[in-house]
Amino acid sequence: MVKTNKNILRSILILSYLAVIAFLVFGASAIFSYLNTGADRSKMLHTEIKKEAKYLPKIVWDSISNEGRPMDLQTLNSLEKDYLDAWYVKHICYLTNTTTGLEDYYTENARKNLFSFIEANKKEGIHIEATTLEHHPNLDFFSEDGQLAVLTDTNVVEYKTLYKKDSLAFETIEISNYKVTLLLEDGFWRIRHLVKEHSENYQDKGEPIDVSNINIKGINYYPQNTPWDMFGEAFSIKTILNDFRIIKNAGLNTIRIFIQYEDFGKGNVKPEKLEKLKKVLDLAEAEQLKVVVTLFDFYGDYSVLDYTINQRHAETIVSTFKNHNAIIAWDIKNEPNLDFDSRGKNKVLAWLKHMINLVKSIDKTHAVTIGWSNAESATILKNELDFVSFHYYENLDNLDTTYKNLKSMITDKPVVLGEFGLSSYSGIWNFYGESEKTQAEYYKKAQHIISKNNIPFMSWTLYDFNKIPKEVVGRLPWRKRTQEHFGFINQKGETKPAFKYISKL
Amino acid sequence: MRLKGIYILGFCLAFASFVTFNPNRVNQQSIELITSDSIFEAGSKMVLKFSSSKLIPSQLYCSNSFGSTLINPTFNNQVLSFVIPSFMAKNAGVVNWNFINTKNPISGNFKIVPKQEVAKMESYLGPPSIEAGGSDFAMLVVIPTDAFDNALKDSTEVSINHQFLNFEKNETVLTNNLIAYKNIYSYEKTGRILVSSFCLGENSKEHDINVMAAIPTNFVIESSRHHEYADGNQITTFYTSVLKDRFNNTVNDGTYVEFYITNTQGNILKTSGTTINGIANAKMIHPDHEELWNIKAFIPGMAESNTLILNYKKVITDFEVAFSENHRQITVGPLQSFMNQMIPDGLQVTTSILINNKIVNNISKTSQNGFVKFNLSTDEFPNNTYEIRIQAAGIEKNFKTIKLW
Repeated sequence: MVKTNKNILRSILILSYLAVIAFLVFGASAIFSYLNTGADRSKMLHTEIKKEAKYLPKIVWDSISNEGRPMDLQTLNSLEKDYLDAWYVKHICYLTNTTTGLEDYYTENARKNLFSFIEANKKEGIHIEATTLEHHPNLDFFSEDGQLAVLTDTNVVEYKTLYKKDSLAFETIEISNYKVTLLLEDGFWRIRHLVKEHSENYQDKGEPIDVSNINIKGINYYPQNTPWDMFGEAFSIKTILNDFRIIKNAGLNTIRIFIQYEDFGKGNVKPEKLEKLKKVLDLAEAEQLKVVVTLFDFYGDYSVLDYTINQRHAETIVSTFKNHNAIIAWDIKNEPNLDFDSRGKNKVLAWLKHMINLVKSIDKTHAVTIGWSNAESATILKNELDFVSFHYYENLDNLDTTYKNLKSMITDKPVVLGEFGLSSYSGIWNFYGESEKTQAEYYKKAQHIISKNNIPFMSWTLYDFNKIPKEVVGRLPWRKRTQEHFGFINQKGETKPAFKYISKL
Repeated sequence: MRLKGIYILGFCLAFASFVTFNPNRVNQQSIELITSDSIFEAGSKMVLKFSSSKLIPSQLYCSNSFGSTLINPTFNNQVLSFVIPSFMAKNAGVVNWNFINTKNPISGNFKIVPKQEVAKMESYLGPPSIEAGGSDFAMLVVIPTDAFDNALKDSTEVSINHQFLNFEKNETVLTNNLIAYKNIYSYEKTGRILVSSFCLGENSKEHDINVMAAIPTNFVIESSRHHEYADGNQITTFYTSVLKDRFNNTVNDGTYVEFYITNTQGNILKTSGTTINGIANAKMIHPDHEELWNIKAFIPGMAESNTLILNYKKVITDFEVAFSENHRQITVGPLQSFMNQMIPDGLQVTTSILINNKIVNNISKTSQNGFVKFNLSTDEFPNNTYEIRIQAAGIEKNFKTIKLW
């Protein structure tokens, strides 16, 4: 007995010794490999150019047929760059009432005018958030020695909001023509004269698109393993094909997908992302599914100086797919009303209006909507949108009246239930949570109300997810767990009882 | 009947006047722009006046070429006055405004035109030097500006003067796109063109354009040397004729001329020079053996000269070779020049040492006081029989079997 115990003791000692050694070796190797990362010799001098586009208004040059010296493309590019930077620096200076950077883009005489404006605005507590959305320059003249250029910038669309003592005083969109003289001084094209020749208020309203016969029986879709990262590294067209078939066979006809703003490359949309999106849309078309494409997911800045970047982002995506048959609608932004408190309602609404107009100006066939997070917000911008969509996660008993109420306020356009659903999670983080059974009952009841009122709908969501990114519901485990269990198919891939009521009673 | 017609007409007129006046009566209650001017001159006092029965909290949004701001009103006699700040009143261009704080927004714009007086002639000239001949030009760009730094309105007359030699010219151009410009072409002569401009009583500063000679035409070369012997010591100088362009202008100082000398073996020697007063010269040391040189000069890519032929006579007809110190010391000389004088130091003499027609070594030395001595050391050349060849001034002497010990 004693001998056995001794042997056990010995083996424990030896094993623990081995474990300690293994741990130390692992630790040392981890430190070693950590110290080796970033030791790439090519990066030692930090010579890479870290440049991010900050200002990308739409700029279209008229055909170049100027007086004087013939213009070459390289000079034109540097002229364009400095000219746009001059606008950008001006916007920043009017926003902050400082003069930093102006000397690089305005000649000594020209910048005096800006200085006096900034001084006056600072004194009065006025600051201006402004940007230009479009430029249509035409080169009038380029001097023989290549040091002076005159251009007429026509139809410059300027968006401005003026604040006095930090409260909004005025908001305007103007369309103006400018005559500009630029001098090449120590390598910079600087603005010498700037003359506004014409200006009027800009009215850009997209044509409404009739979608009164819209028939949406759909679902919000993310692949099970890559929620909120559908177009990332783990993108698998095979998985998506499989899921589309499940959706199709369940009797649904529409999916709602999300384009993550930063993931797609902000202003410079990455071609590989567009390629993946195209694959998804082509597949949807082949499987006879319609797609609601939600733009600007995970974006939340709305600042005026960001407009040009946002604009370029949306422009690239929308113009690429404006003729795609799979698309049924563009959802400008998911639940922007949740940002009203943190960013200011006016700011968010101005941004939304601008983006609606932008998408409508490019794509004249597909409907535009916004996925409001609740029924109370659903009437906002109803005149600008082609159909209204709202999300409903409240008590089902009130859905019927809520919907009828909404319909009474929005008479001329369809009202779509863009998201609804119930998490079947109950566990240590929430003992009073719902079960798969109550989830099934929820959907049964929901489908009853839906068919009674003939509501176009998209439920949340096909799958229970394994991992929820912290950007979605934060880090709190009870929120994450709950969010994981909204699916019709559980984490093991088995259909839950609610699946029966995915599209009908 | 006629009376009735007049009566009806009168009634209609009264009714019509009532209809047309009625809106005015309504508008008197609301805010309305009184100022009727829509064009102001830069720097003048600009006030936008609105009728208002009482002082209401209001602001005027105002935006010109350079920026935007908000203006507060003053209220007097049922008139809200907004004074455009002086820094805005200075800049020419359209000013658009919005009256903020009414139910029916009022907006409009007015135009500020530059003061048609020149305070400063801003002028730019480039490029600063051009080529003679009338095809090259410099461009003068003039921006006449008023006292507030606004470019004058389009179609303002600007006269551009220039002077060259005993010639003066005055031309008028009109401003367009804020500027006026004129190309000033060169003349056939080189020199300096003085340029100035003038607009509405104000003169610009003086600019000048240097007119440089055009590309040179073909030219002639000559040579000069102290004697015609190939002594490897004296220097031959080559001269160009005065280089001229096709308008007979002397080319600019510093024009680069390359001289190519081809010798009898077809090898090329190269020398070069730059012009001063149109003439370039270059030098080359005489060959040390009989030679015939063909010389041709080029200004690369532009012009070339005739071919000059120079003959160099042999100076050394023969020399003696003496072996001593067990044949290990070879003395070459005396090397005598054309008047039997000792050749100046520096003539190259080469000794080749061969065994079985294979060169073991070549030794080159230069002459000193008319002699060259070679020492063949025992380390390098063990005792044996060698063939020794000696070359100097184009003459070769061969000693088939020289025994070293």
